[in-house]
Amino acid sequence: MAGLKVVGRSLIRRGLEEKLTGEARYTADLKLPGMLHARVLPSPHPHADVVSIDASVAEAMPGVHAVFTPFDEEASGLFAGDMRVLDTRVRFVGDEVAAVAAETEEEAERAIESLRVEYRVLPFETDAERALRPEATAIHPGGNLWGGEPLLLKRGDVASGLREADIVVEGSYVVASHSAAPLEPRAAIAQWDDDQLTVWKTSRGVHTDRAHLSTALGMSEEKIRVLGPHFGAGYGAKDESRCAILAAILARKAGRPVRLEYSRYQEFVAGRVRHGAVIEMKVALKRSGEITAIENKTLMNTGAYLASGAGELRRAAQGGLYLYRCPNVRYEGRLAYTNTPVAGSYRGLGAPQGHFALEALIDQAAETIGIDPLEFRLKNHVGLEGQPGRRTSPIDQVVDTQPVEGGIPFSSNELRECIVRGAEAIRWGKPVEDAGEPHMKRGVGMATCIYRGGPGWESTARVILNRDGRVELHTGIVDVGQGAHTVLAQMASEAFGCGYEDMRVVSGDSDVAPHSPITAGSTATFSAGLAVKKASENLRDGLLELASTYLERPKEGLDVRGGFVVSNLEGKRLASVSEVAGGMPGAFIESEASVVPGSADYIVNSFAAHFAQVEVDTLTGSVSVVRYVAAHDSGRIINPKAAVNQVEGGVSQTLGLTLSEELVTDAASGVTLNGSFLEHKCPTIGQYPEIQTIFVETEDPIAPFGAKALGEPPSVPVAAAVINAVYDAVGVRFMEIPLTPDKVLEGLALALRQAQDER
Amino acid sequence: MSEATRIHVSQISLKVNGRVRKVDVAHHWTLLRALRDALDLTGAKVGCDRGECGACTVAVDGHPVYACQMLALQARDKEVVTVEGLADEDALHPVQQAFLEEDSGQCGYCTPGFVMSAYALLRQNPSPTEGEIRDALAGNLCRCNAYGRIIEGVKAAADAMREQAG
Repeated sequence: MAGLKVVGRSLIRRGLEEKLTGEARYTADLKLPGMLHARVLPSPHPHADVVSIDASVAEAMPGVHAVFTPFDEEASGLFAGDMRVLDTRVRFVGDEVAAVAAETEEEAERAIESLRVEYRVLPFETDAERALRPEATAIHPGGNLWGGEPLLLKRGDVASGLREADIVVEGSYVVASHSAAPLEPRAAIAQWDDDQLTVWKTSRGVHTDRAHLSTALGMSEEKIRVLGPHFGAGYGAKDESRCAILAAILARKAGRPVRLEYSRYQEFVAGRVRHGAVIEMKVALKRSGEITAIENKTLMNTGAYLASGAGELRRAAQGGLYLYRCPNVRYEGRLAYTNTPVAGSYRGLGAPQGHFALEALIDQAAETIGIDPLEFRLKNHVGLEGQPGRRTSPIDQVVDTQPVEGGIPFSSNELRECIVRGAEAIRWGKPVEDAGEPHMKRGVGMATCIYRGGPGWESTARVILNRDGRVELHTGIVDVGQGAHTVLAQMASEAFGCGYEDMRVVSGDSDVAPHSPITAGSTATFSAGLAVKKASENLRDGLLELASTYLERPKEGLDVRGGFVVSNLEGKRLASVSEVAGGMPGAFIESEASVVPGSADYIVNSFAAHFAQVEVDTLTGSVSVVRYVAAHDSGRIINPKAAVNQVEGGVSQTLGLTLSEELVTDAASGVTLNGSFLEHKCPTIGQYPEIQTIFVETEDPIAPFGAKALGEPPSVPVAAAVINAVYDAVGVRFMEIPLTPDKVLEGLALALRQAQDER
Repeated sequence: MSEATRIHVSQISLKVNGRVRKVDVAHHWTLLRALRDALDLTGAKVGCDRGECGACTVAVDGHPVYACQMLALQARDKEVVTVEGLADEDALHPVQQAFLEEDSGQCGYCTPGFVMSAYALLRQNPSPTEGEIRDALAGNLCRCNAYGRIIEGVKAAADAMREQAG
């Protein structure tokens, strides 16, 4: 696409300046006149019935204005599938039992401490496999297997694929549950004006939050306004919790605005974690290297409630179903309830777990038949033509971004180029420089990724040109920190024809913004982008109508560029946008566009190939990533600098899942042991490796300006790339993450014993 | 209210961002709470409130301090600088300007803390090596993991400040 002025440039990120000066206000920074402070009583038991709550002491305390317990009428509202506003049954340690609002935080804390609760303690389960035993205590009425049966997905016939094979490799992989641990804990402020509710909250989608509140509170969406101030990130995890609902009910009871902020511990325990998983995978192949079958049996732990479990279970399948050309694939996914913190969405939503198992096993498969893992992937990765087989979905139906069927091509697919250019950058196949000391071992590994490319939900955007020349983009898409407003403003400016600085973004208010989905599934750039582009192009058309009248020239010879109406023929500026706008009859013109994103002919997917060079200290068991190369096909890159930031951040963040982070729930007590930054071990700047990002840019024909998804793909191949590099370094295939030093030492010792036994 | 739970309040003078402010603080209040609740300086963030994340970092007598780990009373007679106090009327501080140009942030919640740690580092050490930058910022967490861009931001700020100093 030649002649782009705004798209493709590393322009300054929207909102960053006010974040740097401290002016940016996040939810917990806001105060309302007369605002009360709320606190929540967490359950001390992993599984119990709340028999009674004596709140008389709390209610009599000075400063206390509201006490809310599961025995209140408003507590019974059901939301997010299986969660009540407050429940007389608690299902994990930290589950919310009751809430209070008081003049000060101290008074609220004392009121919470004064609540006398009688519990009837029930047996509990912390392990997913054990929770599925017939004799296990049911955590929800339908039992502990969500949906009552496994999710089955298949293409071809795996049994015949296994029969055809010369070799079958298999492995059982374990991924621990860990917290997204956004630095900003959840917070909400609620205010009532008669029966109208206004909520300021940590939000990644004001309309979705409004719908949630409406369901939970049993009131019409029209009476609810949700505002999303600056957002201290969530990586998907900041949804589906009770925070805003509790604030709203307490505020109604107290007749005063109420602010509820989760503590750091609450954010760890009552926030949302990544699903722990056990993945049993088989890859069947011929000696020639052709893959004949891939079978995947996955068990995920959704914790005490479902949250995003269904989506997670589905997305964990996709790597095995689609990353390698294979006629016979089968996925059997089970999702189990346990009495542990709730698992929800977290960057990659199941794909990092699924890809870890697949890409570690693919390395082993390559080794078994004596082919270099890079060569093996070049031979077998899925190409532009998609999977073998016949399309089964109706041909006029928008293709799912996670298809199972074969016979549908991709709109673009530069996976091969990602592998080739990434390998070159990491110097694949060249000897790795020696670490200098005999106990320090170095190695190189790789892994690839397939992920949804951006088509999500129906999206709407509105673009307004005011008579004073100001241009505004109204979008319901929340900038969750990834730079959505930057990218959408770049697209809007490009399509309308003004400078980036002239395009103001108005967002974060459910009363003002056109209806939008949540910022999720890496869909904002693609799905919202299509609507933004269309609305902006229509607005340009509207401006050209005005200009034609104003300049007394035919519209056909006019264009808008850089904030000016220009003559196409002479190529010169005729009038500024402001000048033309100043002459318009009304106060503004606007254009709104809604788009159902996607294609009926193509799968839109993003791709990546990652390469890690690691160093293993065989004395301490510590693994450090020395160098990292991340090559991505996300179509055209709208803002290269922000995109690099996104990739580097995604890789570094996922090194936590790979090497250090685990939220540990004690099997004996059900208590989560390490709900703090000190003990949950998120990566710090000290561990940050040298990361080189490569964009294999291609202009996807379906995508707005050719731009596909980028948010989550950087997190998907990281664990396998590192684990494969560790194998290259020390010759042990580790199958459990996080790969903490104790596991490394244990693995090395076991390998040594086995080697001695063989001798 | 019993004596044991009574909250003691004193009025103290706090010098914040060059201005002396009289503030009523409860004796158990942290400096972070005084800044945020009494002075409405919300640039310093509550990330953990227990000295683990660095989102509340401010400079006290030029040193980087977790504002959640110092009582407000302990800040009497000390010079406190918060992220709101760095920019001039018409120009960002070089650390802020460099962070803006190098894209050294994503969601921004950790950003004020990183800016203050970088500011304190560059006052003491105008030419830090990359290792020294990492050491100085190791007490600040960024969950977006924008660490690569933050390192570049501090390097660019150091260059700009040395140039300014001549």
